[in-house]
Amino acid sequence: MMRLAAMVLLAVLAALPLAVRPSSPPVTWLATAALVVGGVGVIAWSVPLVTAAGSLVLIAYALALVLAGPAADPLAAIALGSTLALLLALVHFAGRARGAALGPSVMASQVRQWLAVVGGGAVAAVMLTAVAVPLGVALRSATLPVVVIASALGAVLTVAGVIALVTGGGRRAPES
Amino acid sequence: MTWRPTALNVSFLTVVGWALFLAVLTGRVELAVVAVPMVFALVAGRRTGAPPGWQIDRTLSTTRLLEDECVTVTVTLRAERPLPLVELLEPLPPRVGLERGSNHAFFTLREGREIRWTFELRGAGRQHLRLDGPHLRLWGPLGLAAAESQHRAPATVAVYPRHAPIRHLPRPLRTQTFVGNYVSPTQGEGIEPGDIRPFAPGDQIRHVNWRATLKLGTLHVTQHHRERNADVVLLLDTLSEVGPDGETVVDAAARGAAALAAAYLARKDRVGLIEYGGQPRWVRPGAGRAHLERLLDTLLSASVVFTYVNRNLDLVPPRILPPQALVVALSPLLDRRFVRAATDLAARGFDLIVIAVSPVPSARAAAPRSAVADVAARLWALERRAALDEYRRRGLSVVEWDGTAPLDAALAALGRRWRRRVLAG
Repeated sequence: MMRLAAMVLLAVLAALPLAVRPSSPPVTWLATAALVVGGVGVIAWSVPLVTAAGSLVLIAYALALVLAGPAADPLAAIALGSTLALLLALVHFAGRARGAALGPSVMASQVRQWLAVVGGGAVAAVMLTAVAVPLGVALRSATLPVVVIASALGAVLTVAGVIALVTGGGRRAPES
Repeated sequence: MTWRPTALNVSFLTVVGWALFLAVLTGRVELAVVAVPMVFALVAGRRTGAPPGWQIDRTLSTTRLLEDECVTVTVTLRAERPLPLVELLEPLPPRVGLERGSNHAFFTLREGREIRWTFELRGAGRQHLRLDGPHLRLWGPLGLAAAESQHRAPATVAVYPRHAPIRHLPRPLRTQTFVGNYVSPTQGEGIEPGDIRPFAPGDQIRHVNWRATLKLGTLHVTQHHRERNADVVLLLDTLSEVGPDGETVVDAAARGAAALAAAYLARKDRVGLIEYGGQPRWVRPGAGRAHLERLLDTLLSASVVFTYVNRNLDLVPPRILPPQALVVALSPLLDRRFVRAATDLAARGFDLIVIAVSPVPSARAAAPRSAVADVAARLWALERRAALDEYRRRGLSVVEWDGTAPLDAALAALGRRWRRRVLAG
């Protein structure tokens, strides 16, 4: 059941770049490669393989956007990000729970939790997109150095946050 | 107990990194938007708070069992605060199989709720099965953070060697002074009728043989044979062993010794045990059910301790190795020191039976299958047969046992030769 759900999520992920530009060979190849790598990852419940498949989907999506050049569609992007987060969480949990006994309400509780987090993420993305539209209009008149300094500050803060996240609280929890 | 990020964070960060990199590279805002739900998940996954409280208890259905019997492990977990996802794992020691259920489980508990998690373990091979206690891991949202703990409740289950019933038990040549199941040649109190003799003062009226009295005209009484027990000493060779872990010749010999001990004790005999190895140990001959458990405890920990020191059975005190005892030696006969000790015992007048546990099947099980290994095993078996014939020519009563077939079948082959010797002796 979990494998079927993961396969459906993977298929949705692979279909999103194709929806942007359906008949472009590089996009199709990348989506197919992502489907194959992700399929193997789902069969083996391997998070690294599914991560690789997610990266391939992102590259295919970027390529499709560049080649097709459509108008900005934040909803499809939010769907892609949410599906990817859901797929990674599902594969990680299924890999951990392989061969283990599951209590009566574990799956229902997990699905509720995943949907809550991913739903929250989607709402946050919608809100940020809504805020970004007037901000974008305001920034058009700003000079380039201000944008560059703000971007650099943002990048430094992001890297610092990542380091704090990975090293925070000591070593990573073992996965076995 | 502290929350720590899991490896899933790296996967999320990789994807977020790709999305932002591609967004900058292509100048498309959609790719930056893709990263937003994942960044939100990363932040939400870190909001774990203090680890919740719980109470955990682990119980075992028994602390003693025989090989291939099962022990039921029950873990009770009670949540003092809600546990969204808790993972429990009881690590299994080697040579322990899972018979029913799983030693790994996930649960979700609401505040004040309790779950009982049960699984069955099967001990393969004699051992002290040690369980340290379940490991407990709490998972944060989306599995991005985890907190670990272990409920330390060490418990040991003694897995004794299994013993099959034995019908063809070698009968001791000489009996002792206590009441038992063997009809002694000496006359006295008993139920087995013996000779008839004229009545003498002091004889009891109930012993008068009226048929003989009427025929012979004077009072005659029937004498009876005494029923006596015997002393049996099991001599276990732990100088060398062959075979895979749990299926070595020492394991097979321990199973045989357990079967013999149970059978002789059921006949009211006193049974002792000498572990003849690098570190000699012994159990004084005794009788009864408690003594069987003492013997099984000793057999449980019988193991090979390597030494060059040549131990001598002369050092064993007579209360451990009583004169006129039947000595049953269980050995693969791989070490010459044991063969010398057995020959010495026979020369000192002990009734000795050597059960030669064949190491060939054990060695064959440990080695990979090949034509060369097959030929080597056949040659080894032939060499052993010649060696056993040589021991028999020296006067030792040797019976070969492969360690897997019932010991009763091997002892039945010995039965006729031994019975002849009992009658002669």
